[in-house]
Amino acid sequence: MAIKTWELDPKFKYEIAATPGGEEIMKCFQCSTCTIGCPVTEIVPSYNPRRIIQMSLLGMKKEVLESDEIWLCAICQTCSERCPQDVKISDLMGAIRRIAEKEAEEGKIEVKSVRPIFDKAFANQLRKYGRLYEVGLSLEYYRKAHKGLISGLMAMQKDYSKLGMRLFKHGKMGPRSMLPEKIKRTDEVKKIFEKMGE
Amino acid sequence: MAVTKLAYYPGCPSGTHAIEQDISTKALFEKLGIELVEVEDWNCCGAVEIEDPHLVYALNARNLAIAEKDNLDIATPCSICFYNLERTNRALREDKDLSAKIRGIDPALDYKGTIRARHTLDVIVNEVGLDEISKKVVKKVPLKVAPYYGCYIGRPSEIGFDDPDNPDSMDRLIELIGGEVVPFSQMKTKCCGGPLMMTKGDLAFEMTKKILEAAKAKGADCIVTACPLCHMLLDAKQPDIEEKYSIKIEMPVLYISQLLGLALGIDPKKLGLDKNIVSTKEIERKVI
Repeated sequence: MAIKTWELDPKFKYEIAATPGGEEIMKCFQCSTCTIGCPVTEIVPSYNPRRIIQMSLLGMKKEVLESDEIWLCAICQTCSERCPQDVKISDLMGAIRRIAEKEAEEGKIEVKSVRPIFDKAFANQLRKYGRLYEVGLSLEYYRKAHKGLISGLMAMQKDYSKLGMRLFKHGKMGPRSMLPEKIKRTDEVKKIFEKMGE
Repeated sequence: MAVTKLAYYPGCPSGTHAIEQDISTKALFEKLGIELVEVEDWNCCGAVEIEDPHLVYALNARNLAIAEKDNLDIATPCSICFYNLERTNRALREDKDLSAKIRGIDPALDYKGTIRARHTLDVIVNEVGLDEISKKVVKKVPLKVAPYYGCYIGRPSEIGFDDPDNPDSMDRLIELIGGEVVPFSQMKTKCCGGPLMMTKGDLAFEMTKKILEAAKAKGADCIVTACPLCHMLLDAKQPDIEEKYSIKIEMPVLYISQLLGLALGIDPKKLGLDKNIVSTKEIERKVI
């Protein structure tokens, strides 16, 4: 991919640095330690956190935010632990993902990954009940990722019917887990989302 | 041994797919003489899905503040919950402005920073200690075990309680109870892909398959782990991985609290061993 200098956004790196988790981006000196030790790169060789950081530093905002790669990170902290510059890459990738989610919501970019849908559905459960409600999460995620309740349910059945049976047989998914476990003071959690949510 | 009482943070899967971890942790701590008081009205730690660190800190300030009221350190058997609770603890102590901002949201978040957040594995090994545990061991567990630590037990090292590259807290427990640790240093801290399970399942399967196959190749009788998300992939999803790649693994995956519980003579039912997906019958049979 050739760089078109006139399309670069030199402010992108500052935007990342101002996003919680992304503060250390400017320390990166491109040594590749992050990429060499990455368990995802081992399986998907095109996944290259060093390159994502370099592209970000150069200001290739759209390319970074629209790339599928930023959604492959498993947040395992191996890169953060090994980075000689203390860039905290796991957190940095999270900051970049959140900028992408925001820009996608505003219609400025297009995100193909379904991960933002999942993260959002997770947050919605937490905001509503104070705890994770797995059934609610799955229903919301599949409905939105597959653009409709019926197609969502069909995909969910395909992915999870066997696992569901297994969990049921071992007493890990009973009538109790069909309903949400709601905490008493959900108002406190709601307030947290209102005041801290980006 | 100093600790006799802890605030217990079970984590969201404790009532569903990690129920055996919850049951076995409670049974084990009872045996060790440590009272676990569940954090009243605890909320989700945010897991790996809430990516904004400030939001994670606010969510966990509430949990920490509840435990702090009872003047108890908080302990959790889940590696992700531990990571979120303890990084909140550090951040709020170090960043006064952020701490004040979070405190301003609601009186329920008025955490003063006086307690510690710990992984139950850390409490077992570093608080109770191997000497104390060895006095309580009544059965031998002569198994070949692959200890799988995953990510947050050692990483990032400013939060983790064990070595980031070569953790050994479970290794030491396994050896203490008569087990043999199979050579597993290449795999013990390699990510299982858990956070990708729902959105990039193929990749997560590939990552977990490597761990399962390595354990099998080293002749392990079982894997032990200390995280519900790792366990979900390694155990509950193991039949799906076998089917996808047309391979046979049949590797029991126990929580460390279950394996240690067996050595301490706790009844397998009380350790929830009937709830593990891959049968643990062979493991139970080998305990003498």
